[in-house]
Amino acid sequence: MEQRLANIWRMSVNEKKFIENALLSDHRVDGRRPFDYRRLSLKFGSDDGTAEVQLGQTHVMGFVTAQLVQPYRDRPNEGTFSIFTEFSPMADPSFEPGRPGEAAVELGRIIDRGLRESRAVDMESLCVLAGKLVWAIRVDLHILDNGGNLVDAANIAAVAALLTFRRPECSLGGEDTQSVIIHQPEVREPIPLIVHHLPIAVTFAFFDDGEILVIDPTYKEEIIMGGRMTVTMNTNEDVCAIQKPGGQGVKQSEIMRCLRLASQKATDITDKIKKAVEAYDLERAQRKIRRHSSSSAQAACGADIKMSKQVVDVTQKKIDGFKIQSKDPMNQEEVESDTDLENSNTRAPRAMEAEKKDTVALERPNESKLEKPSVEATVDDSHTKEMSASVQQVNQKKSLKDAVKVKSRKKKKVASTMVGE
Amino acid sequence: MTDESSSHPNTLVDHWVAPGDVVLDLTNMANQTLKLGGGLRQECDAIIVTKAGRFKFSKPNKYWVESSQKRYVPCVEDTVLGIVVDSKADNFLVDIKGPTLGFLPVLAFEGGTRRNVPKFEIGTVLYLRVVKANTGMNPELSCTDATGKASEFGPIKDGYMFESSTGLARLLLSRPTCPVLDALGKKLSFEIAVGLNGRVWVNASSPSTVILVANAIMSAEFLSGAQQRILVEKLLQRVQ
Repeated sequence: MEQRLANIWRMSVNEKKFIENALLSDHRVDGRRPFDYRRLSLKFGSDDGTAEVQLGQTHVMGFVTAQLVQPYRDRPNEGTFSIFTEFSPMADPSFEPGRPGEAAVELGRIIDRGLRESRAVDMESLCVLAGKLVWAIRVDLHILDNGGNLVDAANIAAVAALLTFRRPECSLGGEDTQSVIIHQPEVREPIPLIVHHLPIAVTFAFFDDGEILVIDPTYKEEIIMGGRMTVTMNTNEDVCAIQKPGGQGVKQSEIMRCLRLASQKATDITDKIKKAVEAYDLERAQRKIRRHSSSSAQAACGADIKMSKQVVDVTQKKIDGFKIQSKDPMNQEEVESDTDLENSNTRAPRAMEAEKKDTVALERPNESKLEKPSVEATVDDSHTKEMSASVQQVNQKKSLKDAVKVKSRKKKKVASTMVGE
Repeated sequence: MTDESSSHPNTLVDHWVAPGDVVLDLTNMANQTLKLGGGLRQECDAIIVTKAGRFKFSKPNKYWVESSQKRYVPCVEDTVLGIVVDSKADNFLVDIKGPTLGFLPVLAFEGGTRRNVPKFEIGTVLYLRVVKANTGMNPELSCTDATGKASEFGPIKDGYMFESSTGLARLLLSRPTCPVLDALGKKLSFEIAVGLNGRVWVNASSPSTVILVANAIMSAEFLSGAQQRILVEKLLQRVQ
């Protein structure tokens, strides 16, 4: 008993009085204005479908997994979606291990209502075999540090994790075309979930009999506040969920004001999430591209400018050619995965642009290596240089093709090495 | 400390150590008396470290490990800030961020008798001194100095108290005055009380000053002296 008393975090009378007094003059203890959100940062793990969100001191990790299960009887052609919360005692000494507490259940329910009941994730596309097999999406939310406003942070973590999650592709096969084949990620590119809209939770706290309104309360403010309201909205200004615990009565006009503020914040947060996810997707695409072994070479010292310019031109052409070549398999893939065409189309060239930059940088060490003997042997001769550049081109071609056409890699490799020799 | 460490034969002084490190070998220092502080333990002929931090030595024979942590381990003669949790017939139970609650005897006040027992509301902030800190016992606290005078100890009214690490508290109490307090003190007037348990209390005439000082102190923990001054300047500019 006493041990437990010592572990509870408690607040002094002085703090409570000070926070209330400061709020009367529109000051908050962490230096924010009443309608400022804390700094939000998103991190993604090495696996698909993990997201770590930091909102000020609050730290939440979202983790998405999928499993093939039998669908519910009443919805034979829809996948399932469930949210699980984990409140670790490491995050806050008041969280007890074992059964989820009241706060954990409430948090799970709010996020579940925002995401599932607003049909943000397309469920029908998760069906593999109607009435037999569907994908069950499970979102685990781990609270790593409690700095207040867990609902918003957990909601962002869930959304970000869902956006980066990819499930393996399935197809029907076998002699009766009724057995399900799950394709390994190496064989077929895993498919992202179809997310129609992003519901964002924004929490408000009321103080002083509903007179003072504050956005994104910290753990200290949460202890003092009279009431709380969580509004889940998306960028289309649809209200996906509202939760208002606490005894505080709130006027209708106040609620409308909250909705306006929430939609504004939701837009800001959606932008941030989208930007972070885009950066992650780009990095992911680049990770997939296999580099030629020469990529490990150190940066060169003395390649002349004229020469490197030529190389740039060469790579440009090469990439153009490459684009045309690669168009076919890419389109195929898009049809298969039926994701939005625009997205993957824009992604691919950008990845290539980055790649191009890389190749230009990488070209130099190689080229200088090739060049050196020729410089030593003869006087500076542009012809030999061009030769070396063309050899280079062949080499490079191999590595780029290598990167995209996974299936025919073996054949290509053989062919190109023959040319190189 | 630097001249001491250079004169001292033990090269580990003022270096970072980790739990399990052997810092002193007692076989070749047979007839010496050593005083061990927090984070060190004797195991046969070796002194080993039990927590990560900087190994410190003070002449003539004191050794300890200095680290920064959120949990406070009570130590005799530390001044701490506590929150009253409960009042019993003989003791007040005070939370000092330690592993167990501290006992503050109702007689441990200046001129304290059975007749005039002070009354504290639950949640009152007290500035206290640790009197006893034995293992397996709740630490005993006092609101008087060693001579029985009240001298600054006792309840603290108003202001704002926040929690940080023990390292920051030690930084704020160090001499010469740490740069962040020095820079703040030149521009603003405020009161501050620092407990070695990592609690800091700040008060000023306006809430905005309190908030500025509190945030400056909280973000100064891992900054160098020059960075701390720049931070304070930036914060002051934003306010004005």
